[in-house]
Amino acid sequence: MLSFVQVLTSGIAIGCVYGLVALSFVLIYKATAAVSFMQGEVLMVGGFTVLALNVGLGLPLLPAILCGVVLVATLGAGLERSVLRRALGQPHLTAVLLTFGLGLIMRGAVTTVPAASHGMHRLALPFGDEPLRLGALAIAPQHLLVIVATVAVAGALSLFFRHTRAGLALRACSENPQGAALVGIPVAAMHTLAWGLGAALAAIAGVLLAPITFVHLGMGLIALKAFPAAVLGGMTSLPGALLAGIFIGVAEALAGLLLPEGGKDVVPYALLMAALLLFPGGLGTALRQLRR
Amino acid sequence: MFPFRHLAAALLCTLSLGAGAQSPGVSRDEIRVGSIQDLSGPIAMLGSPVRDGMLLRFEDANAAGGVHGRRLRLLVEDAGYDPKRAVLAARKLIQRDRVFAFLANLGTPVVMATMPMVVEAGRPHLFPFSPHESTYLPLHPLKFQMFAPYQDYMAAATRHMVDSKGYTRSCLLYQDDDYGLEVMKGVEAGLQEVGQVLHERTSYKRGATDLSSQVARLRAAGCDFVVLATVVRETVAAMAEARKTGWNVDMLVTASGYSAQTHELGGAAVEGLYGVAVLPHPYADGASPALAAWIERYRARFGAAPNVWSAMGYTVADLFVQAAERAGPELSTASFVAALENLHTDADIFGGPRYRFSAHDHLGNRHGRLAQIRDGRWQLISDYLH
Repeated sequence: MLSFVQVLTSGIAIGCVYGLVALSFVLIYKATAAVSFMQGEVLMVGGFTVLALNVGLGLPLLPAILCGVVLVATLGAGLERSVLRRALGQPHLTAVLLTFGLGLIMRGAVTTVPAASHGMHRLALPFGDEPLRLGALAIAPQHLLVIVATVAVAGALSLFFRHTRAGLALRACSENPQGAALVGIPVAAMHTLAWGLGAALAAIAGVLLAPITFVHLGMGLIALKAFPAAVLGGMTSLPGALLAGIFIGVAEALAGLLLPEGGKDVVPYALLMAALLLFPGGLGTALRQLRR
Repeated sequence: MFPFRHLAAALLCTLSLGAGAQSPGVSRDEIRVGSIQDLSGPIAMLGSPVRDGMLLRFEDANAAGGVHGRRLRLLVEDAGYDPKRAVLAARKLIQRDRVFAFLANLGTPVVMATMPMVVEAGRPHLFPFSPHESTYLPLHPLKFQMFAPYQDYMAAATRHMVDSKGYTRSCLLYQDDDYGLEVMKGVEAGLQEVGQVLHERTSYKRGATDLSSQVARLRAAGCDFVVLATVVRETVAAMAEARKTGWNVDMLVTASGYSAQTHELGGAAVEGLYGVAVLPHPYADGASPALAAWIERYRARFGAAPNVWSAMGYTVADLFVQAAERAGPELSTASFVAALENLHTDADIFGGPRYRFSAHDHLGNRHGRLAQIRDGRWQLISDYLH
């Protein structure tokens, strides 16, 4: 039983990271109808940016994280302004290939810095590695941090979309761009905001992942797990994406513990397919139906 | 069609006559050596120090007047661990740069894709960083290797650990690919020699983020010894997870986890981890004067501290230089191969193994030794295991 709960908490923590990256996919897709295949690379760039500010420039961790996330958000917004805007109105494939190419460029750019690409790097947490003990249960501080930060980010996003002008405007754009334009919402600016926010979310996920898997060139691979989460969430539902991320994280972890060897790599994806068969619109739609 | 064939044959004849007895890549004052590395892909962390180590050895040889008056030139192509790019790189090095031999090509997929081309073009394929049997078996005049398959090291290491510590339930955590499976074969063979079988095994996919379920599973099975077929990151994750949950089991990692990064990243969590070392890590602290001088030279030349991969790069280049020296002033592929087949090296500054090649055995070394992380660094705890 103890090991079950132990593995469950790890699964939830990793699921939160999947969920955050899935959120960044969904945010961009909702606002601009483009699937971004560079989120993993943005995550990696986010990790390296914070590392560079913290270790390279000697900024304390918290300001380094803040500056790093803002810088990556600016990068996302800048890319929208300069390049991605041109993919609007083109077939889906254009944006997919464009973002994929941009991802390759980011990866290449990081490899040109020898200090960055020649090893893995540690981003030191302020509260050490000593696990938190709740009775016999031991929770790694980095796992706790991921869960707390994810809840905070989800809460902040929800407030932003419900109670701020920019958030409401962004929602309006994603519901009906023409209508939004007619009532005076600057749709183009909203697209920039969406890409910026998407990049910021990926960067936050990168920072949260750093104490768990370290900062290295391949850390963006996690997007391969986050994309199914976004699909399972229904591609347009933010809470759906987060839930789906946690679902995949937990399913993977528990399958590894409980199922015979070999089953664990298949089962989470079999479950994913079953969930999509049952709720073709994704978990987000299912949630909405439940509420009605 | 026929006239063309004759023409081609005639052309080939003239070309080979024109080239004379001299082998490609060898001129009066230069020997060109090619190497396909990963400088931008997933194992660039290995490729860069390997290249730097080789460069340093060649520069040392050139500073000492070259090999029989010929300067050594290293031509490195970056394939990014991608077999398609590796094939293009091999073609360029063979046809345009006309290298004399290939040295330390990095990565099993790269080696598998390019080795046939290299030997078909008549170039020696030397000491690839791919612990795969086909790099030296079946015996081929142009294929030489100095790294044994993981299987060989792991069988000996597992047997030694179980013998000396009296474990009864040995388990395995492995990466679900060729590397992991090969280690599994070695561990099973080692256990068989002491009359045991693998008690429990569990795997993870490359790039896995979290190993908590695997560690919980091994713990539930009651393992008293865990072999890790992992790379650096997963080694740290597995040890950290076990220690976090209060499980103080002994773990042994393959040579892939024997890296200074393991204790740099893992800190206190990896204290006590056993590892298989083929070449010791060149620590500056407590180094012999010769090694300390080498570390200083490396640092001055490349602006970074050398690691175990730098030492390996230096060692493979050193084997090349030694063989080329022995081949004499009339360097040709045949004389080089003959020299290499009689090469028996002495102890080096790193404390690495002595390499022995013969006409019947092109694998220079089969033995690793055990190390353990103590006080935040790897310390060797056994001699080479036979």
